[in-house]
Amino acid sequence: MEIAVAAFICSVLALLSRRYLIPSIPLYIVAGLILGKSGFGIFEVDEVVEFITKVGILFLLFYIGLHINFEKLSKNVFISGIFDLVTNFSLAFIASILLGFSYYESFILASAIYISSSAIVLHSLIEFRKLIFKEAETIVWLMVFEDIILVLILIFSSAEVNQLPFFLAKISAFTLAIYLLYKISHNFKPLFSREDEVPLLISFSIATVSITFSEILGIPEGFVAIMLGAALSGIREIERFVTPFKDVFIVLFFFFFGASVEVKAVNLTAAIVFILIAVMGKIISGILIGISSHKSVRSGLEIGFDTIARGEFSIFLAYAYGSGEMMSTIALVVLVTSILGAFMAKHSYEIISKLERSVKLITSQR
Amino acid sequence: MRPIDLSGIGTKYELETENGNKIAVFFLETGRVQIYILEKGCAKPCVIELSHSEAIKLGNILSGAILQTEREGFEISAMADLRLNIHKYVATKKVSGKSIKDLAIRKRTGVTVIAVSREGKTTVNPTPDFVIREGDVLLVIGESEQVKKFEREILGI
Repeated sequence: MEIAVAAFICSVLALLSRRYLIPSIPLYIVAGLILGKSGFGIFEVDEVVEFITKVGILFLLFYIGLHINFEKLSKNVFISGIFDLVTNFSLAFIASILLGFSYYESFILASAIYISSSAIVLHSLIEFRKLIFKEAETIVWLMVFEDIILVLILIFSSAEVNQLPFFLAKISAFTLAIYLLYKISHNFKPLFSREDEVPLLISFSIATVSITFSEILGIPEGFVAIMLGAALSGIREIERFVTPFKDVFIVLFFFFFGASVEVKAVNLTAAIVFILIAVMGKIISGILIGISSHKSVRSGLEIGFDTIARGEFSIFLAYAYGSGEMMSTIALVVLVTSILGAFMAKHSYEIISKLERSVKLITSQR
Repeated sequence: MRPIDLSGIGTKYELETENGNKIAVFFLETGRVQIYILEKGCAKPCVIELSHSEAIKLGNILSGAILQTEREGFEISAMADLRLNIHKYVATKKVSGKSIKDLAIRKRTGVTVIAVSREGKTTVNPTPDFVIREGDVLLVIGESEQVKKFEREILGI
């Protein structure tokens, strides 16, 4: 019942978001906030809801896995990706430590603040008609690079320090199995070319299969899901079946994430610091990437503005590995950066032109 | 032209014209198509987003495969200097009871009858002895002028 109502509310919000060209993720979260724990308390997070949100995340990660392509990463992409990672992760990590978070908490916070929202960023590129520009390609590859870093984050955030060698051995063995599966995956192609319910059922079972594997092997389920996606990335048809499940469950995840956030737990000082770092960090790394890849600060500003939005991954990391305080703080960071990021991406041309003019004015006065 | 795969977006094709204008076509993963035109010296591109069927229509126009669509017929251009019309007609009283040979359709107009449909049954490539009845649906092929001549002289429309 609750889930049906939530899905209905979200469908209305999705319509609004398309109509007014604002990102949908913050809308779902705010709706959850208003109707959940911190608001009217209409929606409660019980076991069924918790399962659904988990499935949503796993579908999202599986979907990301389908698109990960290690072979296509060029040297240029790698350098851009490193600029992005080093700048944003280290700034957020240092700030978290200074704000009094533990090393582990700081690692999760820094990861959540580092990673941009592929969903919002790519959607903005399409919606705001930027695909023709050379920066767009750089941004697309930056998102792919971030996805790969996400795999590493997933491994590190679940690593059992006292059993590290055993844990890494399990991860390596699983990765090898995934590679072998990738090599023989073309044999499963006919299963996904059928016209009956078989491909749909298999696709639906993928999320729960990840949970089972993860429990048996003792490795993080998010890692399992993303690697299963990578293993089956050779089967193009699979995306058509997984996308509807992903779309429905991930929206419910955003809504119920909002419903489970406690507004009282927000660390306002930390949230303000993180928002400033989230915005400045991407602008700085954008400029570095612009100079190194396109020899242009202007390109760099464009890349920076277009990647400010944080979203699904930040929320997932805070939800899966963070405390209540971290969850609500990151929620605020996501709300502000996603809306600000979409705004900056939409008006980047005007903002950059204005910046250029004022810089020229200052330098000419000297 | 080489397609560029953009993960999470779709496939990109880019073309730079002789005068320095840029055209880029994106087949989005959603199935829609975005076409960008960036005129030389312009900072902002012109963009249109098309549905799959609209994109195919545009493609047909540009490639010249179908030059004109009407309700009852269309024009195709198979070779550069040859434009053929395929047209659908309903047989009039004037031709009823006469065979294709009697009417000397090809001799008089140059048009060929390629199919006849009668009460839901279609005869493809009817023989010269085929007798046309009023109400038959005739599918004919010929050059634009020839088809017009067929319309006037044979059917008397």
